[in-house]
Amino acid sequence: MTPILQITELTAGIEDREILKGISLTVNPGEVHAIMGPNGSGKSTLASVLAGRADYAVSGGSVLFNGKDLLELSPEERAREGMFLEFQYPVEIPGVSTANFLKTSVNELRKHRGQEPLAPAAFLAMMRERMKLVEMDQSFLSRSLNEGFSGGEKKRNEIFQMAMLEPTLAVLDETDSGLDIDALRIVASGVNALRTKENATIVITHYQRLLDHIVPDVVHVLWNGRIVRSGGKELALELEKRGYDWIKQESVEEV
Amino acid sequence: MSIDAFNDNVRDAFIALTSQLNGHAAGPFQTKRRSGFDSFVAQGIPTTRHEEWKYSNVLPFIGLQFSERTSEHDLITREDVSQVLDGLTKDSGVTVQVLTDELVARDEVVRNALGQTAPVDVHPFVALNTSLANNGLVIRVARGAQIQRPIHIAVVSDARSADVLATPRILVLADEGSIIDVVESHHAVGDKISLDVGVTEISVAENAHVRYHKIIDDTVVLRHIGYTAARVYRNGRFTSHSVSIGGAFVRNDLVVKLADIASETYLYGVSVLNEKDHVDNHTVVDHAVPHCHSEELYKGIYDGASSGVFNGKIFVRPQAQKTTAYQSNHSILLSDKAQINAKPQLEIWADDVKCSHGATSGQLNDEAIFYLRSRGIDADRARALLTYAFIAEVLEHIDHEGLRLYCEGRVAKKLDAEPFAL
Repeated sequence: MTPILQITELTAGIEDREILKGISLTVNPGEVHAIMGPNGSGKSTLASVLAGRADYAVSGGSVLFNGKDLLELSPEERAREGMFLEFQYPVEIPGVSTANFLKTSVNELRKHRGQEPLAPAAFLAMMRERMKLVEMDQSFLSRSLNEGFSGGEKKRNEIFQMAMLEPTLAVLDETDSGLDIDALRIVASGVNALRTKENATIVITHYQRLLDHIVPDVVHVLWNGRIVRSGGKELALELEKRGYDWIKQESVEEV
Repeated sequence: MSIDAFNDNVRDAFIALTSQLNGHAAGPFQTKRRSGFDSFVAQGIPTTRHEEWKYSNVLPFIGLQFSERTSEHDLITREDVSQVLDGLTKDSGVTVQVLTDELVARDEVVRNALGQTAPVDVHPFVALNTSLANNGLVIRVARGAQIQRPIHIAVVSDARSADVLATPRILVLADEGSIIDVVESHHAVGDKISLDVGVTEISVAENAHVRYHKIIDDTVVLRHIGYTAARVYRNGRFTSHSVSIGGAFVRNDLVVKLADIASETYLYGVSVLNEKDHVDNHTVVDHAVPHCHSEELYKGIYDGASSGVFNGKIFVRPQAQKTTAYQSNHSILLSDKAQINAKPQLEIWADDVKCSHGATSGQLNDEAIFYLRSRGIDADRARALLTYAFIAEVLEHIDHEGLRLYCEGRVAKKLDAEPFAL
């Protein structure tokens, strides 16, 4: 079985500062991985490097995505190959309707797979069906993308996009930030509904509460640019109870 | 030197026109022309030392030798025009007439309106247009008439065989309670230089609504200097859409006087430029009486070595209490060589008013580009989508659907963003 994502000894940083100091991680089809860690541990940097943000420079290691060298791909090529980055702060784009944007996006992905563009009626039907997953009203389709959306609406819109683009790997970056408990439940149930044996999810989060709703197979703890501990879902609960200090302590002792 | 030659050119044209008048040499139209000519001589051609012309230099094409009549075969004959006008006049409620000496002499309404909202002493090119105005158009909308189909005035300069100077003059008189869409577009054919100096005067009577659309489409030969003046009476509304999609040199002056209470005006403008395009929008909203409302939104996209000017004046006269006036102007510069000079000017003499203005210029939002790319849309298309959306936000205010779709389509084509204009 080819892993969906295989990160080997990845080092990366911004400007001259090295933030990731040798990350290795393998994500197989059907798995949900949670990456946890205190502020400044490198979580956002890892998400940014996977997404292909230009201001982060990779200095070593490799990342294979479905067997391809991810680091060689532009952000749009990563999306076309099946990666989906859920944004912590989705951008407001006035003048571009959600429907028009998604049609462009979905058809780019279809073109990449050698498929014909969807007919307008079929596309509309698909959008209507998948909006239900995150309890979004149809009026959002004609509204400008994210413009004037509440924090919860923006995150639901992200999961709606994910439902439309059907990625093999979804990276959820601090999805729970700024969400009330109802929005969190809706977003999480959307993510769960989209899980299959063929795709995988990486959940990046500071807090355990999201993991009550999206239950991970593996939990990794990131600290100081390295994965210092991996375990089952009970590791998240332990972190919730004891905080991060004991992990920092132990990893210092190991060094 | 070149200014002298141009002035001689205008004088010759004025004399030539005078000699063809056959009995109207002492008529009211010619009197207006003569005062226009005198005023043009007195004001002279403005240079960039003139504050209102600081960023728009007319001298490069003023030196050319313009001729009045160019080709052996007219592009459009008088018969063509008559046929079109006959057809239009059958549409109930609208009358379209050619602006002749005979009409000005005979018709008091036309005589009074001509030069009323655009007096010759306000602007050197209004004076120039007036001194050579001939065979323009008068569009009159009858009381209460609600005209569904837009009236389109296409001004075509024929520069096929020589440099040409055109001076189209248009009068739009919308009577009480009428509604009309007017489209004014300017074009040039041929590869010589055409200088098109136009004046449009619009009168919006009580409860009337004139929706005016001025379209300067992508053309590299056209030099256009246009002055549109509107006067709005009680409860009247004047809406303007100025759509400039290129042009070697375009200067649009738009002057709206809110002349009676509860009148309002909405001014929208877009400039979508690249290469060496130059578009200068000068607007004036004059709040002369209380309880009037104005809104203004102009946006521009500047690529290549293009340049734009936005100069927006709002006057609130001492008696114009309870005025609400809002203006905003936003620009995106896509290249290091492109430039925009923006200057809001609010002059407020009344104390119980609400006025605001805002001007921004910047680049496309990198985070927005990245967001679109991370959804599979490549960088070029992401930029096209964002620039198109930036402009579409203004175009969506065009009420007439056909006109809106046309303008969106033209803008999308210029920005390589056709798939998004749906």
